[in-house]
Amino acid sequence: MLQYIARRFLIAIPMLLGAMSIVFFAMRVLPGDPCVAMMGDQATTEALAGCTKNLGLNRPLAVQYVDYLWRSLRFDFGNSFRQGYPVSDYIARMFPHTFILVMASAVVAALVGIPLGIVSALKRRNPLVDYPLRILALLGLSMPVFWLGILLLIVFSLRLDLFPLIGGGDLDGVLAMLGSGEVFTQPWDFLAGVADVLHHLTLPALALGFTLAATVSRLSRSAMLEVISQDYIRTARAKGQRERLVVYKHALRNMMVPLLTIIGIFVAIALTGTVLTETVFTRPGLGKMLVDAIGARDYPLAQGAITVFTMTIILVNLVVDMLYAVVDPRISYR
Amino acid sequence: MARPIRLCLFVFVVLVSVLGVVGLVAPPAAEAQKKILNIAAKEPDTLDPHSSTLGQSQAISRFMFRGLTRFAIKDGKVTTAEVEPDLAESWTLSPEGTIWTLKLRKGVQFHKGYGELTAEDVKFSFERQINKAPGTRYGVNLDVIKSIEVVNPYTLQIALKSFDPIFLLRMVGYQNGYIISKKAAEKLGDQFKWSPVGTGPFYFERHSPRDKIVLKAFDKFYGGRPQIDEVHWYDVPEDATKLIGLEKGTFDLLYPEAVTADFADQVKKMGAVIDRRGPGGQERFYINMTKPPFDDDRKAIKETMYPGGLARVATSCVPPGYFGHIPMEFPEHNPELAKKLLAEAGHPNGFTIKNYFISKSFFYPKVLTLAQEQLRKVGIIVELQVVDHATFHENIRKNLDPFVLYGGTRITDADPWLSLFFDSKEIPDPATGNNGTNFAHYRGIDDLLTAGRVERDVKKRATIYHEAQKRIQKDLVCLPISDVPGQWARNPKRVSTPFDPEYGEFSLHYSYNYPELLKVLK
Repeated sequence: MLQYIARRFLIAIPMLLGAMSIVFFAMRVLPGDPCVAMMGDQATTEALAGCTKNLGLNRPLAVQYVDYLWRSLRFDFGNSFRQGYPVSDYIARMFPHTFILVMASAVVAALVGIPLGIVSALKRRNPLVDYPLRILALLGLSMPVFWLGILLLIVFSLRLDLFPLIGGGDLDGVLAMLGSGEVFTQPWDFLAGVADVLHHLTLPALALGFTLAATVSRLSRSAMLEVISQDYIRTARAKGQRERLVVYKHALRNMMVPLLTIIGIFVAIALTGTVLTETVFTRPGLGKMLVDAIGARDYPLAQGAITVFTMTIILVNLVVDMLYAVVDPRISYR
Repeated sequence: MARPIRLCLFVFVVLVSVLGVVGLVAPPAAEAQKKILNIAAKEPDTLDPHSSTLGQSQAISRFMFRGLTRFAIKDGKVTTAEVEPDLAESWTLSPEGTIWTLKLRKGVQFHKGYGELTAEDVKFSFERQINKAPGTRYGVNLDVIKSIEVVNPYTLQIALKSFDPIFLLRMVGYQNGYIISKKAAEKLGDQFKWSPVGTGPFYFERHSPRDKIVLKAFDKFYGGRPQIDEVHWYDVPEDATKLIGLEKGTFDLLYPEAVTADFADQVKKMGAVIDRRGPGGQERFYINMTKPPFDDDRKAIKETMYPGGLARVATSCVPPGYFGHIPMEFPEHNPELAKKLLAEAGHPNGFTIKNYFISKSFFYPKVLTLAQEQLRKVGIIVELQVVDHATFHENIRKNLDPFVLYGGTRITDADPWLSLFFDSKEIPDPATGNNGTNFAHYRGIDDLLTAGRVERDVKKRATIYHEAQKRIQKDLVCLPISDVPGQWARNPKRVSTPFDPEYGEFSLHYSYNYPELLKVLK
């Protein structure tokens, strides 16, 4: 197992390098000069040349590339062109917001999508159940997260006043309490902070989770359909086992491998979904930051954010691969 | 089978309900007694007032910084072309017109204990820009200055390279005119951009990236402490979210990305108002006189743009409110006439402009789509390539568009305005790296611009710029579409302003001219 993990980490290195190289060159191939974007139309040629020099963009591309890779090895992505903050610090502040949004929406998508997919598969011959569920899934697939987000804000924030309109809650405070050990000395303050973060997280997680639940539900449905058509299910039924036991003991367990694959894909989709979700709900996070960075040609910020995105996806897929062996003893890693 | 599914649903419903209840029983704000002004805008890219061209950065600067002069308040309105003392209490100009002696107001304090404003701070503020300190953007506006001499802590002399008719406008607290603390800038270095120190009515308290910036009332502000205790400037990129927040009461003021008819309608429906300040920007087309199909050899085609392009409400390529403005006379919008002119020019079936680049940001897609539709009716098909803003900037400087849609706000005088957009020195040229903004490639008013810069008689100067506008009109190089005011939405039950919402403030600040005069109501 350890050998397998080590091998996967080694494979991840060229993948990461490839992704970082693509980002580096793609940012420079894109038309648009960071200095023109920053300095506007009043900038003289001399001022633009000065800006290019200050940002180190006058150096040969190969030098910039090697410098970028070398710094990235030490998690130093340089300073944001626009705001001047060290990109690593910036990402360290933003990533937890995006991470908990992805995780929370994964929970929502799993809680909603998997049961719906299973019911839809098991009751596929009952049009009164299957059709509404399929329509619901189609609605979810065709409903943009942006639109659903606005709708949730209008209903639950504006009209019912149950949830906050903007922000991500005091996540920094919660993390600081965890880091300093205050969580043990001031547990009630910590819990209040956690409740505040969850309170801010609910609507964005629902919006992103619901739109992704549709995909999860469709994938779960086909996974369940495949499993229940297997011989061992027929055998279990022929032995006279109750349907509930057949589903839980045999079908659901065997469905776990494709489900885990879905979750792996889900994280990648959810990460891209955070861009719009963070924008509509005005949450701090990497997604919103990345879009702004690309628009402003803020190379260090965009490169740093995409590197972290890539690393997250690689790590999640590695964890998923390892979990295969846990849920299915037939799978072993050599 | 159904039990775990029911369990999932139960857990889900309980979670949502609990979190909803958390919202209902959330403790009241501990700082409920404070008068807090909540603003929804985009996040500034810096708080150094000399370092950003973004509207939101310039807007928040006005809360923290002041200049030697300010736009005068006359008859209850804030003017644009007239200035009055601010940090400088008086000034004189030498007889030859090149040396200004400015006396500073005594007792003006910088934020956070950085001491009293002196002539050294003024000298430092201007020289860092003239010397093009990294990150500064507006040094070009101060290039007229030859030297700055500190006479005593409250007096300085500024020598110019030649007479400058708009020198006092350049000293307004706006972009290059803001005065910062020398001591703070030297001590903080690169950190200054997020730890700004000025003399304005509010001082910087903290910044939570991608969340909000908090400003606090400055007790020692020389104009008196503002009524508002704190300003919370939220980073809200989406206009729809801003509107929901205004209705809910989360925000008191909105700085919208674009004010569409729908946006204005929703603001009105919820009982809020839109404060219009002008002259703000102007949206206009520059017709490239060197590039087919509108080059001068085919002037007949160019003529079709005026009756065939966009219906216009702007009256001149120099916006009203700017010194030197006169209404210009352009052909009325008339698609039938445009079709006839196009046929006479040898294109009875019209023609197609391929790969026309337009920015996806701000007003560009909206205005260009309208123009595209109106030109289509005439027979001119424009095939759009919608690109991000940085790409658009690059492509228009490569002269890829035969006509360029552009907007902008500048110091309110015809000289800098016309110089930027019609001086031959500003013709963009990828070969030389000139990134200028004379997108029409026009060379017809260089002599007038030179004459205007040395003319000391105000009336004669105005006449020079009137003549410039007439030449531009004759040569058909600029098609002004609309004068766009600076617009913010305001909840009048929460915040009051002493100026009329309809152009009571004619400002350039992307914000309220005098934020210290805003009041939070019960």
